[in-house]
Amino acid sequence: MNRLRALPTFRIDPARRVAFRYRNRSLHGVAGDTVATALYANGVRIFGRSLKYHRPRGLYSLDGECSNTCMQVDGIPNVRTENTPLREGMQIKEQNVVGSAAFDLMAFMDKLDRLMPAGFYYRSLHKPARLWPVAMRQVRRAAGLGKISPDFRYGGRCDEVYLNAEVCVVGGGAAGMSAALSAAESGLRVILLEARPWLGGCFDYRPGPSQDGEPLYRRSRELLRSVSEHPGIRVFTHSPVVGHYTDNLVTAFQTGEPGDAFDYRYIEIRSRTVVVATGCIERPLLFEHNERPGVMQVGCAQRLARTYGLLPGERAVFSVGHDLGLEAAVDLSDLGLEIACVADLRQDGHDEHLVTQLAERGIEVLRGWVAARAHGARAVRAVTLATLDGTVQKRLDCDLLAASAGLTPVVGPLTLAGAQMDYDAHTGAFLPSELPPGLFTAGRLLGLHDAESIETSGRLAGLQAAAHCGAVDAAAVVELQAQAAALPGPQRGSKLVTAPVKGRKSFVCFDEDTTVKNVRQSIARGFDIPELIKRFSSAGTGPGQGGIPGHNLPLLTAHLQGKPPSSFVSTTIRAPLVPVPVAAYAGSRHDMCKRTPVHDSQKAAGGVFRRMGVWRRARYFSDDFSCREEVRNVRENVGLLDASTLGKFRLHGPDALKALQRIYIGDMSKMTAGKIKYAAMCNDDGCVIDDGVVVKRGENDYYFTTSTARAGATIEWFRYHTRYDGWEFHLVNLTDAFGVINLAGPNARKVLEKVADADVSNEAFPFAAYREFTAGGGAIAVRAMRLGFVGELSFELHVPSSLMQALWGLLEEAGKPFGIRNFGVEAQNVLRMEKGHIILGQESEQRTNLLDLGLGFLWARDKGECKTVGEAALRHAENDPGRLKLVGIRMQDPQRAPKDGALIVDRRIRGYVCTARHSFTLEQAVGLALVEEPLAGIGTRLDIYEDECRGELLKAEVVAVPFYDPDGKRMRM
Amino acid sequence: MFGRTKPLWDTGPELKSGYDAVIIGGGLHGLATAYFLASRYGMRDVAVIEKRHIGFGGAGRNTAIVRANQRTQENVPLYKEALDLWPVLTRELDFNLMFNNCGNLNLLHSEAAVNAARMNIATAQFLGVESHLIDARQAKEMMPALNISEDITYPIMGAMYHPPGGIVRHDAVVWGLAKGAAALGVHIHQHTEAAAIESRHGKVTAVATSRGKILTPRVLVSAGGYSAAVIHRMLGLRLPISVLTIQAMVTQPLKPLLDHVISSGAYHVYANQTLKGEIATGAHMDPWPNYTTQNTAYYVKHQAEALVEILPCLAGVRFMRTWAGLADMTPDMAPIMDGNHPLEGFYMDCGWGYFGFKSCSAVGKYMAQYMAEGRCPEILKPFALERYEQHRLMGETAALVSYSPDN
Repeated sequence: MNRLRALPTFRIDPARRVAFRYRNRSLHGVAGDTVATALYANGVRIFGRSLKYHRPRGLYSLDGECSNTCMQVDGIPNVRTENTPLREGMQIKEQNVVGSAAFDLMAFMDKLDRLMPAGFYYRSLHKPARLWPVAMRQVRRAAGLGKISPDFRYGGRCDEVYLNAEVCVVGGGAAGMSAALSAAESGLRVILLEARPWLGGCFDYRPGPSQDGEPLYRRSRELLRSVSEHPGIRVFTHSPVVGHYTDNLVTAFQTGEPGDAFDYRYIEIRSRTVVVATGCIERPLLFEHNERPGVMQVGCAQRLARTYGLLPGERAVFSVGHDLGLEAAVDLSDLGLEIACVADLRQDGHDEHLVTQLAERGIEVLRGWVAARAHGARAVRAVTLATLDGTVQKRLDCDLLAASAGLTPVVGPLTLAGAQMDYDAHTGAFLPSELPPGLFTAGRLLGLHDAESIETSGRLAGLQAAAHCGAVDAAAVVELQAQAAALPGPQRGSKLVTAPVKGRKSFVCFDEDTTVKNVRQSIARGFDIPELIKRFSSAGTGPGQGGIPGHNLPLLTAHLQGKPPSSFVSTTIRAPLVPVPVAAYAGSRHDMCKRTPVHDSQKAAGGVFRRMGVWRRARYFSDDFSCREEVRNVRENVGLLDASTLGKFRLHGPDALKALQRIYIGDMSKMTAGKIKYAAMCNDDGCVIDDGVVVKRGENDYYFTTSTARAGATIEWFRYHTRYDGWEFHLVNLTDAFGVINLAGPNARKVLEKVADADVSNEAFPFAAYREFTAGGGAIAVRAMRLGFVGELSFELHVPSSLMQALWGLLEEAGKPFGIRNFGVEAQNVLRMEKGHIILGQESEQRTNLLDLGLGFLWARDKGECKTVGEAALRHAENDPGRLKLVGIRMQDPQRAPKDGALIVDRRIRGYVCTARHSFTLEQAVGLALVEEPLAGIGTRLDIYEDECRGELLKAEVVAVPFYDPDGKRMRM
Repeated sequence: MFGRTKPLWDTGPELKSGYDAVIIGGGLHGLATAYFLASRYGMRDVAVIEKRHIGFGGAGRNTAIVRANQRTQENVPLYKEALDLWPVLTRELDFNLMFNNCGNLNLLHSEAAVNAARMNIATAQFLGVESHLIDARQAKEMMPALNISEDITYPIMGAMYHPPGGIVRHDAVVWGLAKGAAALGVHIHQHTEAAAIESRHGKVTAVATSRGKILTPRVLVSAGGYSAAVIHRMLGLRLPISVLTIQAMVTQPLKPLLDHVISSGAYHVYANQTLKGEIATGAHMDPWPNYTTQNTAYYVKHQAEALVEILPCLAGVRFMRTWAGLADMTPDMAPIMDGNHPLEGFYMDCGWGYFGFKSCSAVGKYMAQYMAEGRCPEILKPFALERYEQHRLMGETAALVSYSPDN
């Protein structure tokens, strides 16, 4: 297809060819083409088939308001080819067809519409019941549009930017550019977002005159120059706004141009004000076969010629409802399109100048006429025009029907921002009756048509935004308001809802194949408001969202029920306003996990790492996940564990002790220097949320640890539970500042002696003591605790993170003669279980309280007026017999430990196994379980039900804990 | 083929001055209770009053997943019965509820998660519900789009596979129940707001509404996310419920890609493919109590980041629509179903969080029994309000719930 000779409005470069593949054919478009315009240039008229009826679908708009031109591009389905730029080498395929889009074997579906009234699937396919699973498979296959391979991998580059501005202007047409300029001239930071790849909006392609007599396209280029030269305006083109959230958080999605370092970009803007100048789309005209290929919107036809150099047809009929339609007919006629007739559904109110121009070109204008039916099986071949009452008809041959009922303001960003919409009787549109503070509107979306009015409204909105930000005074706004008021105001809009037809094939929603008749059926079924019709008939739930049906559905709903159009509003518009690739939202990868200071050492030592909360931790140090060797080495020699993930806090200040007393269940007032206190925190239900150790380092100065999982929540927990007290204390999260080494095993002291600069003998540093000393010849400050979590002599060494690796290395070196080895989290799990020590979350669940865990000894009942969190609940629970209690269990078969999570059962479930292992140390299978209190007595026999056991129960007995070293001699060595 | 087109239910019945029972809330639980009152207990003189239109709240906003693989023996039987009821209701209501019995895959990303899942699985199996632990390779075979490589934030170690679950078309359930209930004589009054519950001598006597007073000896509040506020306003009873906004979204429609419901606790995401072909996905709850039903920008990103790791092919798919609803969360993530407290004839069915859809059929049946007989059915007893007063939470969640700081 030949392009028109160069026009000043071109956005293509006809000299630069771009090759692509379509249905195994090599085709060419030109630089600047969209995929769809390139296909159109190559004679393609049917781009795909519709969802339900497999009707042929063609180019209708150029802004992606429906999925007519959705195709598979480079393996990606549902790409709106009409506004996707053509790139060299693209692979284009049709979708939802059997055969091809032109000859689709499923086309017979279009004849079956009587079998598929609105919501038919709710009332069929379920009888007999066995039919449904079979039918469902067919439904699934028939539904869906595009196809994506499960192996598809997106190879593009995704960028994210997070910006701030005083004024964010949505829409880069004449109004938006004017708004940006007037706001920026007030000294504010302005961001201008435009959905199309260039600024200009509807001025960009129109030759009609602007206020100074120049063509509109030239005026828009002048504005563009001013915008680009202004340093206060940042412009993002090809960036449709997709979301508006609380406090003017605007999100947009940008498509990269050739040469950009990204393919998609997610843009998030926090702006003090937002100016919405999104203009209008055309309101689709409802008539029979109103979406037949060859029927297109007026702007689409004109832009095909003006922007892409493609004459949209050979012989056209126009059926329009606004002056833009007349203007386009004049323009396209001048560009060489034969126009058989222009039907204008308005009886009066035309721009008589345009009517004269049409008359000069010999084009008949029929006032009060409208297209009633498009003819032609796969593309338009003729059209029947009718008077509005349908009494007089005439048929005209044509291959293009430019059809539009009027204009629809693009209000998506406004409704997302919470603007209230109401029917406006003058424009016939749903317009904001009230705007939230900081939100302003401008341009055509207000119904303005006059070029000067549009620009002035833009400047006014920009100034209003500036005034809202305090950058200009109100007088300037008032002055401009007066100027604007003197210019032509909103144009009266057309009110016609549908052509005089029954509407069996008049499509309200193209994406979902919803007809006027379907809407009538929905109403008859009792679904009588747009929101319910949307649900019942699917209108507006397709990829185009409310674009095509948004304006017509509420009008039609009122019309069919004989109600005034103000009875209803459009269905709720939801983000994203334009479908956005998941890849664009995902952006670059965001795994922000933390690594401990000795991560690399452990990796070198063969550590197998697991993600644990925000951390990566070494769980095993061999392929043997039973950890037999790791466990043995700790029991017999000495092991080294990285416990850096423990939460670590400094609490200090005059009221520090009060805070401790409130939060910890024990009595923290009797702590002495140099001594560790094991303590637990409960919630208001008495359930244990954390345990750890506390040491008193000085007057009103404490250091404490929490479990890894609770580290992040601890400060908030303290603050929350002391929020009404006005206490003065300070909490410092030292979790990342300190690394923790657990040196454990009978040889631990021999190793530490060689490294520490202090006496670490049992006399100088006994069990449960806290010491501060240096190591490595004074280089490393160490906070050391004698603990026994794994049941052996052990030292927990807290060192500044930057020095942890050094101490770790010294200990490894010193420990060589004593068989030192790393051990991981799972070995620790086995070791501590043998010792009967609990891990919260593993031996407890949300409802497990302090007493259930046998930790009642930690509770100090007479702390005075502390209001200890959880104490009231514990007092209550003391007399509650119906709780799960933690017990030790020993399996009858010493080789067969139940899996963690197995159940304790009789006829009911009576508890479950928290942790159980075959203990190589004890040569028994033992574990910890939570069981109902009546089963918690020593010697009780338990039946254990494992998954997939098929009723074969394992036998166990409740025994005393600890299993290992019950007298605790080894950790006191 | 479809006969004369008439409304599925009587959309404008006359508001009578009295009913045997009044149900506040035209959502799934209210409609189901009304249907079972009429169909099983012969109590047909029932009014359902709804402030907006039926299905406006959670009923129309959930993502329609059904399953019975909960954690405790108190919950599993209720949800199992709910699953069993879908085919029964489809037949009784003569309305296609479109139960897609595709099964659920709950992904497990750590040893701890595997152990936790094993307890759920053992519980299910012990109670006669099918559920299995499978490894990552098996999961990949069932769902080829799954990424089981080690190169993601939370590599997949296995999955809890629960064949009896799936997806039900939520709107169909709303309309089917309304149709069935109305056909038996239940009056559905839309755009009617309940204002107060009136009582005398400790017994319910009437419900005051925006359209006048209705005399009734029994009233059920099942107003979804608004229940706690309604009950507090009318009776001064404070429930341990935090109302949070929960968000969901769909992609553009695709040909069949996901043959099962998939969910992941670690990524905090679930996804399933609707019969229309959209990938419905969600899970995020904003952790601050609110009634806004507003979406957040953060949420969409979070969802996308999670999806491209576990289902990387979705990077090439487009999100089409987001929305939000309310989740009324209790501290133990189990609901409150109670009756005759603090007034005789007052019933409540609330605190359903984000699991009200999957339970509605069975709960309707038992709440109807409760209201008709006045005695609490065995199966509902563990859900009484008093458990909170006694600090005896249900074990439905293993982990500490952290959506509000006062738990």
